[in-house]
Amino acid sequence: MTRGLWNRETVALMLIAAYLPLALFWLWSGGADAVARLGLAALVIGVWHLVFMLARAQAPSLAALVSALAIAMLAPEELGVLRMVLGISFGVVMGELVFGGWGRNVVNPATIALSFLGFGFPAFDWPVFDPQVAWAAIPAIVIGVATGVMPGALFAGAILTGLVAYAGGVLGGPVILMAGIVLVLLVADPVTSAATTLGRWIHGALYTALVALFASGWAGAAPVQIAVAAALLASLAAPLLDEAALAIWLAKRRRRHGRT
Amino acid sequence: MTFAGTGAGLALDFPSPPMGSAIDEVVTEEAGVRPPRGASLHVTPLVSEGEVVAKGAALACLRHAPDICFAAPIAGRVARLDLLPGRKLSEIVLFRENEDAVEHHDTSRAGTAAGVRHLMQVAGFWPRIRRRPFGGMPSQSEQPSAIIVMAIDTRPFAPDPRRAIKGQAEVFDRGLAALAELTDGPVHVICAEDDPVRIAPGLGGGRVRVARCGRRHPQGSAGIRIHDLCPAALDTPVWDLGAEDVAALGALVESGELPMTRLVNIAGAALREARIVRTHPGADLRQLTQRYVERGPHVLMSGSPLDGHMAHWLAPRHRQITVLPREAVPDKPHWLIAALTRASRANPVIPTAALDQALAAAMPAIPFIRALSASDDETAMKLGVLSLLEEDLALADYVLSQSGQLTADLRGMLDRIETEYAA
Repeated sequence: MTRGLWNRETVALMLIAAYLPLALFWLWSGGADAVARLGLAALVIGVWHLVFMLARAQAPSLAALVSALAIAMLAPEELGVLRMVLGISFGVVMGELVFGGWGRNVVNPATIALSFLGFGFPAFDWPVFDPQVAWAAIPAIVIGVATGVMPGALFAGAILTGLVAYAGGVLGGPVILMAGIVLVLLVADPVTSAATTLGRWIHGALYTALVALFASGWAGAAPVQIAVAAALLASLAAPLLDEAALAIWLAKRRRRHGRT
Repeated sequence: MTFAGTGAGLALDFPSPPMGSAIDEVVTEEAGVRPPRGASLHVTPLVSEGEVVAKGAALACLRHAPDICFAAPIAGRVARLDLLPGRKLSEIVLFRENEDAVEHHDTSRAGTAAGVRHLMQVAGFWPRIRRRPFGGMPSQSEQPSAIIVMAIDTRPFAPDPRRAIKGQAEVFDRGLAALAELTDGPVHVICAEDDPVRIAPGLGGGRVRVARCGRRHPQGSAGIRIHDLCPAALDTPVWDLGAEDVAALGALVESGELPMTRLVNIAGAALREARIVRTHPGADLRQLTQRYVERGPHVLMSGSPLDGHMAHWLAPRHRQITVLPREAVPDKPHWLIAALTRASRANPVIPTAALDQALAAAMPAIPFIRALSASDDETAMKLGVLSLLEEDLALADYVLSQSGQLTADLRGMLDRIETEYAA
């Protein structure tokens, strides 16, 4: 029988293609250290996928590479191998694999791993990126939205709110750059972001609003820390936003048809 | 979901040789009458093997609703009458013979609602109607809350229903008026945005209306339009018919003879030449395609490449035939490859813009598909699953490369809802 294109692994490949410019710029500016971090993250996630394939007959996914990239880029620096392995294992197993693998998870595994590492080991410094790495997030957004694997409405909501916050003087330069990278890597995940158009607009706006709130009120926090915390809270709110958007849609239909 | 909501749907490109514009009239040497797919109907045969019947004569009727008959699509001799255990209809095969004989029905009571209904049932028109929710033909006395007439078909290779009813504007209007007798609700005629369709004003007391939609699939899918215009529910069934069948109904009411012609497109990658034929329901697919197929193994499908199924006879409601090359059965993969790609259950659907478009942005696609995969009947019913049938989700199934998983989930859910709620 004839078959189309958009199965789970095609979407994972498209996401990898979208992240490629960002990853290359980061590896280029980070050098051997960055390569080692990415390799470690990919290895640990790969082992856990293998374990769940053998134990639970759960097909592994190429989306593991996306999580690996996000964790390697955003995790606090000089943590050491043991802490990295611990954090990545917690995030990937508890955030994704126990739910049935990529596509059935409710929170992005990279967000979980980063929160675990960042808040569990607060003594270590969060990474800082060159501006050109942050600029490479723009082609990622363009590729992701053009191929339809990233939610366009979410970016629209986030960027509009960001512009308002910038104009109001709440958001500054470095925080905006970090927030952009985290927006692409963690918030725009197609699986765990909001699933309705209205929900996506609000999800994006909520993320930027949280970033602005933390940036103005959280003394001593690193830009990446602010963005990751905002991403975690926004993604926990995503199901609620969807529920609200569905309720509005249903109410509209009920008014129009007298039934749903 | 698009931002503006217009232009939803996908432009599909399946390979096929170019289609000629000439219409051949073909009455096949054999014809088969089968019940609608998936239905199992207890019947009482009204003819016996070897008997000669006229075109339109009743071959069998439902055992519990003897008014509803299956009619002979061609005049001929009953060659085989296959019944499954419990006298369920499997298939009735006719050989063409005595071509001029046509069954005539009494139209004297066709002015009233009950008369039209009775005429449609005894003339064998009833199986051409499909109801939602759950699909299949309506029960004998069911009154729909609305009727949808599809004068557009956006499936790949589908014939243009406007071409099928060209020059039959009067009987089409007559058919619409007859349909309006059967319901207190609206009768929506669905046609393309740029279609200059004309309906006689004031038809059916002003309840016959024209609604428009885009040309991209699945916008012209009956389920999507019903979901948009008049959602079907357990106590508000909605019927849908093709425009050609409505013209046939008009002719039946006017003359007492039910026309059996049907405009059918034959297309697909395994053909040397695509063609348009005017044939009849239950036509023999092999005879229609025999001289036009490429060498090599192929599969004959009744229906479109998306929602068709392999068949011997043209299915009761289908208007297209697809001929595809038969794919070789792949070798058994290495156990490690199999473990990497095949899981204990199907891979989940990842939300993409392609999925939104495959449901024509008519509903929140991702919550709906998630409810469907998780067998969450209540959420799916709220989001409109009762308006849909397998053919409406066929495109999503194709786009997501789920090879029948979504449509199977939908059928399972509809069957479950039917037993739980409609009891």
